[in-house]
Amino acid sequence: MSPDRSRPATGSRPAARRPAGPAAPPPAAAPSWADQAGRLVGEWAPTVARVLLGLVLAWFGYHELVTPALWTGYVPVVSATSSIAVVLVLAHGWLLLMLAVAMIAGIAPRVVAAAAAILLLEIVISLTATGGLSDLTLRDVGVLGLAIALTGCHTHRLVLSR
Amino acid sequence: MRFMSRPAGPLGLSLLAVTALTGVVLAVHGWSGRHSGLPAGALAGGSPSQAASARPGRAAGPSAPAAGSSAPAATPSGPGASPGASRGPLLSVQSYAQYSFRVWPGTPSTAAKAALTGLTVKVARRSSGIMVTAGVIGQPANPARFYAHGAVVYIVEASLGDDSGNSDYSLGDDALVVTDAQGRILP
Repeated sequence: MSPDRSRPATGSRPAARRPAGPAAPPPAAAPSWADQAGRLVGEWAPTVARVLLGLVLAWFGYHELVTPALWTGYVPVVSATSSIAVVLVLAHGWLLLMLAVAMIAGIAPRVVAAAAAILLLEIVISLTATGGLSDLTLRDVGVLGLAIALTGCHTHRLVLSR
Repeated sequence: MRFMSRPAGPLGLSLLAVTALTGVVLAVHGWSGRHSGLPAGALAGGSPSQAASARPGRAAGPSAPAAGSSAPAATPSGPGASPGASRGPLLSVQSYAQYSFRVWPGTPSTAAKAALTGLTVKVARRSSGIMVTAGVIGQPANPARFYAHGAVVYIVEASLGDDSGNSDYSLGDDALVVTDAQGRILP
């Protein structure tokens, strides 16, 4: 794991020209606590979000792999009691596990986040089609939003780059 | 704008390979235990369903909420089936006992009502037992089933996370259990 410093952290602005005057702060003033906290959050929030989303995917992937029978009810179109449903759940769980590990380890995080977003979009559509809008569906919409946001994040720390 | 700033290195590829193999092993494990689950209950209709497809005696995964060799024997039950006098093990010693909520007799608790989300259970007392009608809301009603010496009806709900509003998205973790007065599961 190593911090990805290939791109500069966003949010740092070039020093603005300020008119000289008695009210102007000294140029060498130390950044405030709020600035430091904001910078820290800006640097680490994508990483934290990435790891947490990875944990979500890992949890569901593991349980789908270990107890597929409990998840076949979510498979659309196919009968929940069929072997096809079990196979589909196992494949889904395997994919989730792969995405989870890649996400947590920071292996191509944007590509993985995009794949997770597509997967979650499929889940949201499927849930909406079968059960309409519900708390379950909207909960997944939130996770989908997280995946989409990570797709657009350039700066990640603790990525596996070797 | 590059979408993939750098390719995965050998270490990353190795990690993914190990994960892929682990996933395959887990999938094989899940496939072999796909029939494990909750005890057969009357939630299913005449056709096989997730609950009714549960078969006892299979090893289950470590996170299986209710499974194992101690699961009660499942017997085929048609409409109005009258099980024999054989009784199963105590519900209290089953792995899914913690997920069992009493719905009859008496008023179901808040947890039992939550567990009943999307399901319907009706019980009628008879002279030598109880008649239980259970099913899924929105689906055709199942035929009533008679349980000789039946005294208590439980609904098993391993996870409430699949319940939303008035729907139960996954019946795989739901089951109906009827016990006699001593708490022994009736087949």
